[in-house]
Parts: sequence; structure tokens; C-alpha cells
Amino acid sequence: MRQVFRGVLLLLLLLIVFPPPANARDQQPPVVRVGTEGTYPPFSFHDPGTQELTGYDIEVVEAIAAKAGWRLEFVETQWDAIFPALDAGRIDLIANQVSRNDERQAKYGLSSTYTHSRGVVVRRTGDDRVKSIADLKGKTTAQSSTSNWAKVARDAGARVEAVEGFAQAAALLTQGRVDAIVNDNIAVLDYLTTTGSKDVEIAGDAGQAGSEQVLALRKTDTALLAQANQAIEALRADGTLRGISEKYFRADVSVRDGGAADLSQGRGQRSTWDVLRSTAWPMFVGLVKVTIPLTALSFAIGLVLALLVALARISPFRVLSGLARAFISVIRGTPLLLQLFIVFYGLPQIGLKFPPFTAAVVAFSLNVAGYAAEVVRSAILSVPRGQFEAAATIGFGYAQALRRIVLPQAARTAVPPLSNTLLSLLKDTSLGSVVLLTELFRESQLAAAESNEFLALYSFAGLYYWVICVALSAAQKRLETRLNRYVIA
Amino acid sequence: MTDIRIEVSGLHKAFGSLEVLRGIGFTTPRGTSTVLLGPSGSGKTTLLRSLNALDIPDSGVVRIDDVSVDFSLLPPGKAGRATARDLRAQSGMVFQSHNLFPHRTVLQNITEGPVVAQKRPPDEVVAEARVLLDQVGLADRADSYPYQLSGGQQQRVGIARALALKPRVVLFDEPTSALDPELVGEVLSVIRDLAAQGWTMVVVTHEIRFAEQVADQVLFLDGGVIVERGTPERVIGDPQEERTRRFLRRVLEHG
Ligand SMILES: Nc1ncnc2c1ncn2[C@@H]1O[C@H](COP(=O)(O)OP(=O)(O)OP(=O)(O)O)[C@@H](O)[C@H]1O
Ligand SMILES: [Mg+2]
Repeated sequence: MRQVFRGVLLLLLLLIVFPPPANARDQQPPVVRVGTEGTYPPFSFHDPGTQELTGYDIEVVEAIAAKAGWRLEFVETQWDAIFPALDAGRIDLIANQVSRNDERQAKYGLSSTYTHSRGVVVRRTGDDRVKSIADLKGKTTAQSSTSNWAKVARDAGARVEAVEGFAQAAALLTQGRVDAIVNDNIAVLDYLTTTGSKDVEIAGDAGQAGSEQVLALRKTDTALLAQANQAIEALRADGTLRGISEKYFRADVSVRDGGAADLSQGRGQRSTWDVLRSTAWPMFVGLVKVTIPLTALSFAIGLVLALLVALARISPFRVLSGLARAFISVIRGTPLLLQLFIVFYGLPQIGLKFPPFTAAVVAFSLNVAGYAAEVVRSAILSVPRGQFEAAATIGFGYAQALRRIVLPQAARTAVPPLSNTLLSLLKDTSLGSVVLLTELFRESQLAAAESNEFLALYSFAGLYYWVICVALSAAQKRLETRLNRYVIA
Repeated sequence: MTDIRIEVSGLHKAFGSLEVLRGIGFTTPRGTSTVLLGPSGSGKTTLLRSLNALDIPDSGVVRIDDVSVDFSLLPPGKAGRATARDLRAQSGMVFQSHNLFPHRTVLQNITEGPVVAQKRPPDEVVAEARVLLDQVGLADRADSYPYQLSGGQQQRVGIARALALKPRVVLFDEPTSALDPELVGEVLSVIRDLAAQGWTMVVVTHEIRFAEQVADQVLFLDGGVIVERGTPERVIGDPQEERTRRFLRRVLEHG
């Protein structure tokens, strides 16, 4: 048992040395929390040199903040989670090329337009089956499933394959898994120049007159919306918007007829090696500051909960053991991702709002508890009854007998299966990327969206996970040897 | 302070519809040994476990020294468990299958109760434990783990563990039945020494010769009642009841 306590202490120590990330804090206005993808160049992406979040939308919203007197906090999240995050009050506005449409107009507070663009249809180079939006009927396109472009594609009769961001969509198109993509003209041009890809090309316009991109706020935040609109008009009047636009697109997209965007200068291409070299450190930081603390804390709390659930499960009180059984059954019978979403997006609807890191710890430790409870229970039951009785005859109560006599023996049985739980947990924390946690996997996604180096970056992230798993397995071996010292000669 | 260490009366215990103890009563004077004899299933273990509340009788009174429990009045829940613990603290128990703690050394097995449960000073307890180990002939095995000992040695550690609690009485449940025949002697001789030192003991055993040597009182149990009782000369040497005679014949033939 002392080893277990020492382990928990070590984990806590790790957490103090590597505290959870700053975006785990929730703050009140005057800080305005801005939801953005960070993976949608040239609008919202990470500069490969500095790793800083930048892009047209980022600079625009920063200029607005300067005018309106806001302090900004950026919260990076996948597109499909952006509106739920706004609804749940985790962010206050979205700056991510939100297209104006009727549904959104009805549900959200939409700002003045700061980008005019048009949709285009993208196809594999030379694929004559796709010439215009009309050809999408019965074909498959790749889109962020809740985006306006997905709606355009569906309205044209296409089946939509859900992806996260344009880079992933382009990869699917190149691989021949989908037939086309509908997206913003500018985003497509950026992709083509950045990657130098000859595999896909613009087939034609998406048939709309043009689309307008706006900031989205909660309908109720009327004061904030008024400030935003005032600032946008002021920036338009003093030429700031035009300046930002020309820097990125060599045209003024902030007005309707500001000329055709020209991205031929691009952001430049980098070698795979360069991409890896500049991403290795951010990924390592994601590993050390989020992945490992999240794993350690969730496992420690999960084990304590598992012990309580296991004891409830073997207790003679029907209600208690029934509750424990139900808990285990629900946890093991539902997907972990769903549990994570319930804690992160669901509970705020009944007033239980945790910061991302806390929410992830809650979800993961409950999940660990559900799986480990059965392990702990059978390990306890594997200790002969006589041990409990002998402990009773030397004057121990139930808790003392458990702690000093039964659990140390149960540990021997439990360590191998619990180690599996720990390894699974380490890898499962990659799901934290969908609840706004910038952990190891999310870092690799960010870099991949900007550079399109999927294979290299995801393999590299895998290497990090693998190394930690190997180290944990070695630790498990040592622990098992220690625990076996009193049964093997 | 009376000279009667154990006083049992009207003890009843059923497991479901099976009545295992059906009105047991006896007394054990201080410093004497009581041997329980009886065929398999007669309730010997259940009776012994009732004395330290490992099994909770349905009714009846058990008094050991100055702790007395009337089981028909035992409150449910926490209060009842505390009362049971008080009674249990009066005795030490030696199990048939020793039940040593495998993850503790021999010395730790002995000191665990006095140090952790009785909260006595570790130095003092360790010193006493070494004396006890010497007494059971295992002074040199203090730092061994139980798996490194023979069955007879393990059982002697079990005895030392019980004695270290300084109990009012020591309970033995067939302390030699799980042992290879050649190891029985060393354990019995330790128990014989304890009797000579004046420990109050209740011993369940099938070793008739041993019972004759150490017992001050023999109780013959059958069907949940005490069928016959008295000195070993009386009960073993000159049994009055047919059931006792049949039992002794069988045990002596096979033993
Ligand atoms: N926990 C229990 N639940 C149900 N029945 C039990 C339980 N413990 C003992 N019994 C039954 O009670 C009866 C008496 O058992 P007990 O162990 O007291 O007998 P014993 O005299 O010690 O026998 P042996 O010489 O075989 O050890 C037996 O029929 C046994 O099956
Ligand atoms: Mg028995």
C-alpha cells in the first residue's frame, strides 16, 4: 500500500511541476473569449515559425478588440464544436469565417460583414465528372459537417463526408475517397499555393452570388455585438480592414468588389523535416503539460473511485451494490467520447460547467473508475476470506484490514490489468483534443492542418505515445517483481 | 475478579434452517485448557468462532473475563460491530490453515496487531515478539516470509501471533489437521508448553492422546449440543454416552 501512496504522491508532484494549461481557466468579461479553429489557413492558423496563432480572422478580431477595448482570450476548437461551445458559454464569439445564412441569423447575433467571398467547387485534377455545383448531385463531398459549405453541398444533392478542416478534406479528395469539396475561394487558393499540390483544382463557382463572413455571438449579448459592429465600421472607414486583407490576399475582401484574391505568393513551402523540427517541441510541451498530467490525475482519481465502487459493489447493502453495478454497466456500455461530450457540452446545460482540463479529468476518471472497479473487485475477492478473519482476530476493523492486509495482496492480482487500463487511458487522452485541450495529438493536428504533413506528423505523435507506453510497461514489470517478492522464492 | 475466564450459556446459532448450535453452555476456569471433541459437522468450529464473534450467534451469552455479550440483545449496525470487536479483543486465535499474512515477514506478522491495532510502542512489541519467536523455536526466522517456512513452522508463527496480543484466552481450531504427520509433534509440544505456563485455552482437536495430556476439561459435542463433559479421564477414559464411545473408537482406529 505504501507503494501506491508513493505513486499517488509522485503524480501529484508531477502536476505541481507541470500545471494544467492556462486555457483551463474560465474568466469573466471584460475578457472576450474567441472561438477559432487554428487549423484554417489563411484565416486562422499557427505560424510555423513562431507557433503563434495568426491569420486574417485573427488579425481582424484583434483590431476589433483594440478598438472596442476588449481583452481577448483565444480558444481553439474544431469547427463542429464551435457553435456548441458558444451555446455552452465556453466562448463569447466565433471568428472563423462564419458565413451568414438564415438559420444562423435567427439563432445567433451576427456582426457586420468583414469578408466577402465566393464558394468554389474543388475536384481531383482533370476529373471531368465535376464541372460545376450541378454535378454534385449523387456525389460525395468532404466538409465540416455543420459548416455553411456543407449545407450548400447538401442542397446541391451531394452526400457529405464529415471532416475537420480543409486540409483533411483535400487529403480525402486526393486519395479518391470523395469526389469534390465545396469551400471558400480563398481557403482553396491558400491550400493550392502552400502545398503546391497539382492533385486537386478548382472546377468552378459554387453557384452562389457570393457569401458574407461575419462574427457570431450569442443572441443575448447585444451590447457586445453593438461594440463589435461599431468597431468593424470604424476599421472599414479608417482602412485597417483593407490593410489586413491586402496583406493576406492582395485584394480587399472586406468589401463586395475589392478585387480577386491573389495568393500566388503563398506562405511558402517547407520541407517535411522543417515541419517536424518546428513541431517536435510544441508536441512535447503538449505531452508534458497536458497529456501526462491529464493521464496521471485521471488515473489516480479513477483508482480511488474504482476502489469505492468496488467496495460498494461487494457490500451487503442492496441499494449500494445496485448503484455500483449500474454505474459500471453505464460506463462500460457507452463510448468514452460520448461520456466526454456529456461532461463537457451536456452538463453546462444543467449548470455544471467545468473548465476543459477539469471536464476531461472528470470524464476520464469516471471512465477509469468504471473499468478498474471490476478489476479491483475481483482482486479483493481473490484474497482468501481467512485473511480478513485473521486481520479481525488481531484487532483490525474493516478499513484497517482492507488497507493493511487485503489491498496489498489484491494489488498483486490487479497490477497487470490496471496497467492495461493506464496504457489505454494515456492513448485515450487524445480525445481531449475535441474538448478544447491542446494536448499532444491536438498539437500534431494543428501542425498538419497548416503543413499537410499528415503522415509524418501523426507518426511522430505516435512515437511520443509509444515511448511513454514502453516506459510505463517497464515500470509495471518492476512493480510486479516487487509485489511478487513474497510468493516467489 | 472471578476465577472463571470463559462463561457461555444458552448459545444458539443457525445457518438458514440448519441449527448448528442448540443451547451450549460451559465455563472455563482461568489457567485451564478446554478441549472440544466431536464428529465433523457437530459445530466445534462454529462454537469457537462464536467465542470471538467471527460468527455471531442468534442468542446466548458469552463472557470472557470482564467483557460479556448477550447476543440476543446485540444492536444492529455499528454499535453491534463495536461490541463484537470488544469481545474479540479478549482472545487470540490460531487457525487450521494458519492464515499468516503472506506479504509480511514473520516478525511483522507478530507485531502487526500489537503495534497497529493496540497502538503499543513498536520497540517494546518487537522485543516481546522476539521472545515469543524464541519460545516457539523460530528465533532465527524473524525476517523470513511465510512461504519460506514449513507448515509446522508457519503454524508456530500463527501461535506467536496470537500470543503477542496478550489475550485473556487463546482459541485453537484444529491447529495440526492441515499438517504432514511428521510436523504435528512440534506444534503440539508448543501448545503443551503454553498449557504448562498457565494460558487459558480452548482447543478443537482430533488428537486424542494430546487431549488426554493437556486438557483440564473435555467437552464432547454432537448435533449442536454438549453430549458429555468432564475430565479427560472421565470423557475419554470412561465415556458414558454411546455417541462418545463410537466417536472415540473411530478416531483412535484411524488416528
Ligand atoms: N457459514 C456457514 N454457512 C452455512 N453453513 C455453515 C457455515 N459454517 C458452518 N456451516 C455448517 O454448520 C455445521 C457445523 O459446522 P462446523 O464447521 O462448526 O463443524 P465442525 O464441528 O467444526 O466440523 P469439522 O470437524 O468438519 O471442522 C456444518 O454442517 C457446516 O456445514
Ligand atoms: Mg471445524
